[in-house]
Amino acid sequence: MYTLGIDIGSSSSKAVLLKDGKERVSQAVIQVGTGTSGPARVIEETFGGLDITIEDMDYIVATGYGRFSVEEADKQISEISCHAKGIYYLYPTAHTIIDIGGQDAKAIRLDGKGNIGQFVMNDKCAAGTGRFLDVMSRVLEIPLSELGDVHFKATQWAFVSSTCTVFAESEVISLLSQGVSKENIVAGVHQSVASKACSLVYRVGVTDDIVMCGGVAQNKGAVDAIEKELSKKIIVAEDPQLTGALGAALFAYELCNRSKRS
Amino acid sequence: MSTINELISRFKEIADNPKKAMDDYRAETGKGAVGIMPVYCPEEIVHATGYLPIGMWGAQGKNISKARALLPPFACSIMQSSMELQLSGVYDELSAVIFSVPCDTLKCMSQKWKGKAPKIVFTHPQNRKAAQSAANVFCREEYLHVKEELEDILGVQITNKDINNSIAVYNENRQALREFSDLVAENPGLIRLRDRHAVIKARWFMEKSRHTALLKELNDAIRSAEKVPFNGKRVIVSGITLEPYEVLDIFEEFGFAIVADDLAHETRNFRQDVPQDEDPLMALARAWNLFDGCSLATDADKPKGRILIDAVNKYKADAVIICMMKFCDPEEFDYPILLQEFAEAGVKNLQIEIDQETTSFEQIRTRIQTFSEVI
Amino acid sequence: MDSININEASAKELLGYFQAKLDEEAWEAKKEGRLVCWSASVAPPEFCVAMDIAMVYPETHAAGAGARKASMELLEVADQKGYNIDTCSYARTNLGYMELLKQEAMSGERSEVLKNSKAAYVPLPDLVITCNNICNTLLKWYENLAKELNIPCIIIDVPFNHTMPVKRHNKEYIADQFRVAIAQLEEITGRAFDYDKFFKVQEQTQRTIYWWNKIASFAQRKPSPLNGFDLFNYMALIVCARSREYGEITFRRFCEELEAKDQAGKYAFGDASTEKHRIAWEGIAVWTFLGATFKGLKAQGSVMTGSCYPAMWSLVYTPGDLESMAEAYTRVYINTCGSNRYEEFYKVVRDSKSDGMVMHLNRSCKNMGLLNNEGAEYVNNKMGIPFVSFDGDQTDPRVFSDAQYLNRIQALSEMMDAHNS
Repeated sequence: MYTLGIDIGSSSSKAVLLKDGKERVSQAVIQVGTGTSGPARVIEETFGGLDITIEDMDYIVATGYGRFSVEEADKQISEISCHAKGIYYLYPTAHTIIDIGGQDAKAIRLDGKGNIGQFVMNDKCAAGTGRFLDVMSRVLEIPLSELGDVHFKATQWAFVSSTCTVFAESEVISLLSQGVSKENIVAGVHQSVASKACSLVYRVGVTDDIVMCGGVAQNKGAVDAIEKELSKKIIVAEDPQLTGALGAALFAYELCNRSKRS
Repeated sequence: MSTINELISRFKEIADNPKKAMDDYRAETGKGAVGIMPVYCPEEIVHATGYLPIGMWGAQGKNISKARALLPPFACSIMQSSMELQLSGVYDELSAVIFSVPCDTLKCMSQKWKGKAPKIVFTHPQNRKAAQSAANVFCREEYLHVKEELEDILGVQITNKDINNSIAVYNENRQALREFSDLVAENPGLIRLRDRHAVIKARWFMEKSRHTALLKELNDAIRSAEKVPFNGKRVIVSGITLEPYEVLDIFEEFGFAIVADDLAHETRNFRQDVPQDEDPLMALARAWNLFDGCSLATDADKPKGRILIDAVNKYKADAVIICMMKFCDPEEFDYPILLQEFAEAGVKNLQIEIDQETTSFEQIRTRIQTFSEVI
Repeated sequence: MDSININEASAKELLGYFQAKLDEEAWEAKKEGRLVCWSASVAPPEFCVAMDIAMVYPETHAAGAGARKASMELLEVADQKGYNIDTCSYARTNLGYMELLKQEAMSGERSEVLKNSKAAYVPLPDLVITCNNICNTLLKWYENLAKELNIPCIIIDVPFNHTMPVKRHNKEYIADQFRVAIAQLEEITGRAFDYDKFFKVQEQTQRTIYWWNKIASFAQRKPSPLNGFDLFNYMALIVCARSREYGEITFRRFCEELEAKDQAGKYAFGDASTEKHRIAWEGIAVWTFLGATFKGLKAQGSVMTGSCYPAMWSLVYTPGDLESMAEAYTRVYINTCGSNRYEEFYKVVRDSKSDGMVMHLNRSCKNMGLLNNEGAEYVNNKMGIPFVSFDGDQTDPRVFSDAQYLNRIQALSEMMDAHNS
């Protein structure tokens, strides 16, 4: 049985193809999200080189902000449930999930059996999300992918407010004009993301193991800042961008089995 | 006689180290401290217990992190840092904490106190003018509640005589502060703005008769000081607080002197004395009723504009600078009315935003500099 | 305006008819030289109604403007006057509207914005009455109205109940203010207060409230014949007409309709199988996206069966007893200490047999929003049911994000399924 999970986010499109709910046949990430060519391209890339097509799927679950735009999907499930599913499958000891994506940051509490105990998400403002890092990367003229390495060269973390992106942007500009080093500002930016994200974590409770997923989990500097803020070790999920799509594929497998039984 | 600078450094040491002030007080008197949340607590009742009333006005440049789990981003900046301090145990040595609830944020804050000390909450009456006598009776009952709670928590008895003594101590302090503010205004440039602020702020962490004694010395020293040349602009500042020092330094950098303030943290506490009354709790209640010009004391006449314009005339001020506490809606509601009144009276004015968490002040600098260029 | 057969009209028709009639009566009063009063939504109208003063309710007016997508241009007028966008959007909508009316009164010309506004056209007040039992913002807002228009402001100050039950001195202070308000009204109108009519108005108010509470009780049935979102619509009359017979007539008709629906096996979304979840909604409606917020829930089969918000008008008291009336107006749950507030919320969730809670973190309403989580956690501890919080605003459309809302509502639905299975 083949099942497909597709996660169409605000700034990237992801897919995981599973055989019998276990074997990962294929997966893909495209760095553009809903409302772009991303959804079509991610499907194309997932099936590229395979002798099966999307027509052969027994069940497809879509998640993410663009979940309702995936016409092939049999069902849409929120990415909160999908991330929880994917993470629990990979890390059964996980109790706290931190997911920071393009425009959302979330903290999810798991009850140890894979059920969601509570979850909280950021307010509408983009502070503490991937979008915030995009803005900062542009202001600092440092590519997004290099922020993590630059972070560890900081000698003293600058202070960047976590109240709002526009605010923080003007703060960063004034730090630059004061001659604060970019390394120190980058660390401050990560601290700002961490402070905002951890406020969500504090609300659901900080219980080991803590697993982080979403695009921002690939940024080692942000992870470092969150670990320092929480004074806890964090497990970065393998392929952190893909845990939502994996969860969706797992849901698809369960739903397909259920519909066959009934 | 000590020099001005020596005296100021003593105030400053206390203003900058409330924890030490509290420890010293305990070492000396064997008594602890009672936290006073903003605003307008009848502190005299606390003073009458022999405990040290200590102001809780947040902290500057404190990174807000754990508090974000408990407050949405639109709660005001003082309460954000206050919550952060509560969660980090800073207030755990207090013997009690007193909350007033004149705004919606404080109502909610009073119900989510995270410190270890027992809390006391009281409500100010707001129908202060049309229902004056009923409001005073109610207010007296609320102050009685504060007194009784303090007696229970601290295990003390508070007599009317004690409170009357404390009222006298506070009124003397108020008078000395009014003198200080006026003396500073008469010789602008002599006292740095950050020092003016530190002298006034220190009263939140000092037993008031000591503050008065030190202040009288300072006032004398200022009186006998030579006039310094001053070519800058004289301004009146209005708002909840005007901190940190860096912002005051920006004022100075562009030649502004503060000749009077209308801040909830500063002059609004000592603009008027507590009136005489046989019943000291009623005296305190009447003081609240007579108190005018703060956004947190309801009055449909909205006298704040008139009070500020009178002050502009009295102190020959060049402008009023509104220091808007971020997300303080009572102050934000007063602003459009002030704008109209200032326009009618021809009073120049500027608004800056006060956010305790901020550590970079470029925006304020730009505004202040531009303002200095246009007035 | 079109006439209507009161005996045959549906509750929905009555609602529309009486709402329009109230505005029309306010204009008539204005033309005949009688007084018009703008009032806070949970301020006591009994005194003014007894003195034949026409009532207009800015909060309802602003909500209506929001629902008709007409709030934005009014908010912009307030922005231009210097109102910070962090302040309550009801206040800003109304103060913007007041500004337009004031300009019209002063210049004799109606501005384009006012001409084209889809907000109901209401007259300027001759006096205002405010009460802070739901927030202290209403003190600041009404101070400004009184100052801008140079008219009397009647304040009913109901001090925050930091200790429950309500203390005697609170009740006495409020009752004293009722007496002061009566004296103020005598002075403003130049007439003696009509105590006989006042008593009758109090009785009418109690009958209206009886039927209002009865409507809400239908949502306690399972499945629920009442779609809780309807309460947001009918709320206009419990606010604006609770001291008039209009509210009673309409609510009684609605109860009859709900009873008939229940008898016929028809429920909020249709037959019994359409009710998949029952949810409690905490906070004011997102008026500018009322349809979107409703549809998001409906798509998940989630019927709103509980809300504390409509229950704020459950102002039950004994006519003729001012202290009883004082207590009714002060014990509104958000004017009480946390422990009482959370318990009141819990009772609503429990009695509505809700499976989950939707918490509106309303940018405009600090008094409701700042203790939302504490309330939800209290109920979660007692009942184990999940909750979600979303960001929104009552009438400022800039704060709400449809996609974020739908995401959370779907996640809640998935959690309710997991919890129930």
